[in-house]
Amino acid sequence: MRIRNRRKKLLVEPPASATGDIAFNLIVFFLVCASVHPDSGRSQTLPRSDEVDAEEELENIEIQLSRNPNTVLMNGEPVRIMDLVARLKSKLATKTREEDRVVVIRSEPDTPYHHWIDITGLVEDTGGIITIQTEEEREVRIE
Amino acid sequence: MKLSRRTPRADVPSMAMGDIAFNLLIFFVILARAQDDSHLQWDPAVAKEVEQAGAARVSLLLDDENKIYLNGQPIGMAQIAADVTDILGDTPSGERIVLLKVHKDVPALYFQPVIEAISEAGGDLVHILEEQHD
Repeated sequence: MRIRNRRKKLLVEPPASATGDIAFNLIVFFLVCASVHPDSGRSQTLPRSDEVDAEEELENIEIQLSRNPNTVLMNGEPVRIMDLVARLKSKLATKTREEDRVVVIRSEPDTPYHHWIDITGLVEDTGGIITIQTEEEREVRIE
Repeated sequence: MKLSRRTPRADVPSMAMGDIAFNLLIFFVILARAQDDSHLQWDPAVAKEVEQAGAARVSLLLDDENKIYLNGQPIGMAQIAADVTDILGDTPSGERIVLLKVHKDVPALYFQPVIEAISEAGGDLVHILEEQHD
């Protein structure tokens, strides 16, 4: 009679009680991964428009934005976006005081945010200080 | 002969600990999600240069339907200045950061009054933008 000396194969299974812990650790890992993505952007200091002196306001540069992404009105005159930086630089070059470097931004109600961000970015890059003027703040003179 | 009575053991099964922790975690995650604005729909405008915004107590969001949210909760235009002032309290200048997240196509009619309200509340405005990749 032949006796086979068979080795018993051991069944190696992860203990069922550990699956909860594994899931817990996995969710903590993914939460930490998701929360480390910080917000990035651009800070902007806006002086209040009523702080601008009425006499000096006349000398400020005024840029009017509309839905048109290629042109803006600079002191009432149409200027192409590609020429805006050069025009702004020449205007701001003579202004040394901070309060003189205020650029008033007027926007048509339908001006999209991305266009506003592009133009205000250009103004700030050339050394201008942004202030916004809304419809309610505009002075209406009736003679 | 006297038989001794067995005292029944009532232990919390240790197997369930992982599941309890897991469910607690899910509960707190859902609670936290309700207070932030990560569930709202908006596409940021792009800019060439962006910097880290830092930690902020106030986050204002204008979504793709021109609706306004303060820290994930809907808010009316007229309430923004007062609510932001309340949240910022006596926080010193430089730490009064207000994150402004505006969907790229929102018209000025909606975002300009929000910027004004932040200025009125004395917040340090930070536009949240996406960096432009060439």
